[in-house]
Amino acid sequence: MITKTAEHTVIGTRPPRADAFEKVVGKAVFGPDVNLPRMAYGRILRSPHAHARIVRIDPTRAEALDGVYAVATAADLPEAADRTERVGEGNVNYKYMRDNTFAGDKVLYHGHPIAAVAARTLQIAEQALELIDVEYELLDPVLDVRQAMAADAPLLHEGMHTRSLAGTADTPSNVASQFQFLQGDPEQGFAQADVVVERAFETAMVHQGYIEPHAATAAWDADGTLTVYTTTQGAFDIRSQVHELLGYPLSKIIVVPTEVGGAFGGKNVGYVEVPAAVLARKSGRPVRVVMTREEVFLASGPSSGTWMRVKMGATREGRITAAEVELCYEAGAYPGSPVGAGANCILAGYDIPNARLDGYDVVVNKPRVGAYRAPGATQSTFAGEAVIDELAEKLGLDPVEFRLRNIATNGMPRLNGGFHEHIAAREVMEAVRDHPHYNAPLERGTGILRRGRGVGLAYWGNWGARSSVTLEVNADGTVSMLMGSVDITGTRTSIAMQAAETLGLSLAHINPAMGNTQTSGYSDASGGSRTTMATGVAAVKAAEEVIAKMHERAAAIWVCEPEQVAYTNIGPDAGTFTCSRNDETMTFAEVAAKLGGTGGALRGQGDVNVRRWGGAFGANIADVEVDIETGSVRLLRFTAVQNVGKAIRPGQVEGQLRGGATQGIGWGLYEGYAYDGQGHMLNANFLDYKLPTALDVPAIETEILEIPWPEHPFGVRGVGETPIVGPPAAIANAVYDAIGVRQGFLPMTPARILESMGII
Amino acid sequence: MAIKPFAHGNAVTVAEAVEALSASCRPLAGGTDLLAMMKADLTAPESLVNLKTIPELHEIGVVPDAETTKGLRIGAMVTLSQLAAHPAVQGRQELGRGSLTRSSMAVLHQAILRTASPQLRHMATLGGNLLQEPRCWYYRNELIPCWRKGGRLCYAYRGENKRHVILGGGPCYAVHPSDPAVALLAMDASLRIVGPAGERTMSLAEFYHPPDRETRTVTHLAIDELITEIRVPAPQAGTRGVYVKVAERAAWDFALAAVAIQAVMEGDTIRSCRVALGGVATIPWRASQVEEVLMGQASSPAPLSTAVIDRAVEAVVEDIRPLEHNGYKADLLQGVLREALDQLR
Repeated sequence: MITKTAEHTVIGTRPPRADAFEKVVGKAVFGPDVNLPRMAYGRILRSPHAHARIVRIDPTRAEALDGVYAVATAADLPEAADRTERVGEGNVNYKYMRDNTFAGDKVLYHGHPIAAVAARTLQIAEQALELIDVEYELLDPVLDVRQAMAADAPLLHEGMHTRSLAGTADTPSNVASQFQFLQGDPEQGFAQADVVVERAFETAMVHQGYIEPHAATAAWDADGTLTVYTTTQGAFDIRSQVHELLGYPLSKIIVVPTEVGGAFGGKNVGYVEVPAAVLARKSGRPVRVVMTREEVFLASGPSSGTWMRVKMGATREGRITAAEVELCYEAGAYPGSPVGAGANCILAGYDIPNARLDGYDVVVNKPRVGAYRAPGATQSTFAGEAVIDELAEKLGLDPVEFRLRNIATNGMPRLNGGFHEHIAAREVMEAVRDHPHYNAPLERGTGILRRGRGVGLAYWGNWGARSSVTLEVNADGTVSMLMGSVDITGTRTSIAMQAAETLGLSLAHINPAMGNTQTSGYSDASGGSRTTMATGVAAVKAAEEVIAKMHERAAAIWVCEPEQVAYTNIGPDAGTFTCSRNDETMTFAEVAAKLGGTGGALRGQGDVNVRRWGGAFGANIADVEVDIETGSVRLLRFTAVQNVGKAIRPGQVEGQLRGGATQGIGWGLYEGYAYDGQGHMLNANFLDYKLPTALDVPAIETEILEIPWPEHPFGVRGVGETPIVGPPAAIANAVYDAIGVRQGFLPMTPARILESMGII
Repeated sequence: MAIKPFAHGNAVTVAEAVEALSASCRPLAGGTDLLAMMKADLTAPESLVNLKTIPELHEIGVVPDAETTKGLRIGAMVTLSQLAAHPAVQGRQELGRGSLTRSSMAVLHQAILRTASPQLRHMATLGGNLLQEPRCWYYRNELIPCWRKGGRLCYAYRGENKRHVILGGGPCYAVHPSDPAVALLAMDASLRIVGPAGERTMSLAEFYHPPDRETRTVTHLAIDELITEIRVPAPQAGTRGVYVKVAERAAWDFALAAVAIQAVMEGDTIRSCRVALGGVATIPWRASQVEEVLMGQASSPAPLSTAVIDRAVEAVVEDIRPLEHNGYKADLLQGVLREALDQLR
């Protein structure tokens, strides 16, 4: 209806974030800041064992302690449906979610919740935890994905049988499911190859590392309405989870999202909302449950540790003929690893005529994994890009040239059975080829310090789904905006910018706010890089409805037909109505001032379910310096290139590219869960679980490509996840370039580097 | 975990603080380690006596010592940030008789700047840094009753020991976490210690001892004693120092291996030197066999000869006994020593 034809005046600018001031002055309310009158403090009892049967739980002594208001266990939850649904970027089965909220007959990982206490103070609550008597029958844990797949491995779920397209297996197994992608004839493909490379890879379980821990506060009204304040990516997803686990009507549950101190996929699934709600109901008080850092590591949703094998062949002319991939992903205690997404993304940028991929979702005695920024893709891309790099080397081709010779193009069938559309993989690789960084000379070094350069091509599929935006026009011509999406990435600003652009108003006219499940329309979680894209579609739709309705109001004022009214939104703060009957004009604000007399409140509603979205390719260039005496890797220069479709607010996009690269650098060089043989996590703190610091990360150069996704009004594809996918691959390839040894492990710590060099 | 309730009192004098100390009343300096230990329920003192309120412990200065040369006396409550910013430590203030360069205090300056993070250095005191509890992940896990905490076994010995001791381990294999202690050992620093019976002075080399069957601590500090001052002797003319550390990340990380060297040059020859190692033993570790190799060797301005460096690098790992997963630390130790010797010229 409203088509922008001239240059944008809001989109592409760099206004301050709507939430910046509150956060800078420390006034923003995050999950742990919520404080209600008469509130009690909740704490959770967790399993000290990685695998055990619960023989008995007796909370009697805890309940008797002075100052304890309530104790909750699995007995307080109704049976949950054995049904799997999409939550945020992953799937959950509510029966498993119930067992992961309060353990049933078994504990399956160190930190598995068993019971919860609400008390007058945190100290009393913790004292009470020690008074809950739990009798365990210890079982052997299994911590490694391949050991878990072995026929004689200890079983986490005695009744679990591997599911696949062939049906359900007869014997129980830790392999929850397996699948295969097949394209062409891999055997024939390998027969045509002049060069074949095959390698195995392992990656450690990693955590998103958000600074704000999980925190929820629950309160019941006298009429039975449950309100849950929580830090989450999706208020409506949390409402569904509470609804399912409590068996309570959706209309009686209000989930209010707070500001979010980092999520990265990890705050789609709730961990403390249901315990807080049960404790609040039993105690008759609001109850707040805040995880400690240790609890966040032990019992939230990190990303899978993996074992992967990749074999590829190519001809002397540099054309890939075949690939064979095996992906084994740890799901943690319950099924649901992101192995499917890992499979969708590995080698997505290449034309591979013959391929077979086998994926396995495997339970182990670790926390149930969650989504982590491009879930599953970073692991598989590390493996795929290392083999691509090695093929190029064996063929004597520049690694970028080799990638370009095999780059995927529009319409090409994909390994997962789909087809590429508007993918622009070639443009991304060409941007790398032409980038000053890739063409800068590199002093390689011959002494202790060796330098190398590596690249990695990355892909993430992005997402669309449901979003809701309401725009209400005020009498002074300003617009109040309410969105159902949680703002984790500057969303209030980027959505308000799309609304302002469509309305032809300046951004200052729009006041954006996050709604809750009672005030805004259903919106899926802010995940899958979907929010700027899909919620943007909703905002444009709402703005178009506002303009359409304002045509009618203007016509009423002018006493003409709505068809005789025209509106222009082109140019800075241009919103103006003109009447072809009398040649008069009115500004947006002048029409707004008369809303009362022309029919009352005026709001535009954008409710969408975006079913077509565009994936995003990105790439990284890394220069490293390896100290061959100590195995230390230092990043000298790092570049992130990405096709984002359209950068609504370029500063935010650059921030996403840098943030994703920083997390990818963490995966590459520093981060990983460490366990002892009994399955105790050893490094559940930020000193021993090492996120990169400011001194470890160089200034990250960014290059934004804008090859639009044609089905978004402004061409947006989605940004946030692709940036994490490529860095470990680029760093591993750079390390190889520096020291001549391929790296098969993440993280590449000094010990791993020295080991790979055969020094130890 | 929520910190357990405790009483808190401010001491105004050292005597007052010492009088309060007992097994259940511990001194609170910067609190960067103690409070974390309390939050993790690894220790639960009934009361803390705050040392921040004792003015004399914050003093830092150049004062005459017994031999009328000058040395540096650092109050135990001086923060690492304050110390790193002090003109003497930065080499901008006259400290001794001879000609002084920045390098005479460089070993300490470098060690401090590689310690923790800027935020922690603003809070952490030098006295507290010397008395840190180990960062061993078995020790720090409240579920694991390790030997150091009074249990029967060292779980690292046959466990995940990639960051553990390679020199002189047993019965505990947790490395000493301090960087400054390694530098101060190379500088031959000493400590002024005050207890109920009065004060005493002890060299840092004597102060630390590896844990043994009799004692699960690594220092000679009694439960009712305080370190009040760290004394660094005035560097002699021709002193050069260097601290090299390798860790998994560039800041906020403990050493996997570190080496501190304080050498006194006479002309182009190393007249004397002290070499200390960090991140490899339960205490800051003196490497006298390396010192013997270096003594009398020509170094400046030309680098040490390859043969000498090779001998030193061999000597530094002479006594190592690696565990299952930490053999690579021997290579790291050799690497940091090589780099330190290269920088010493």
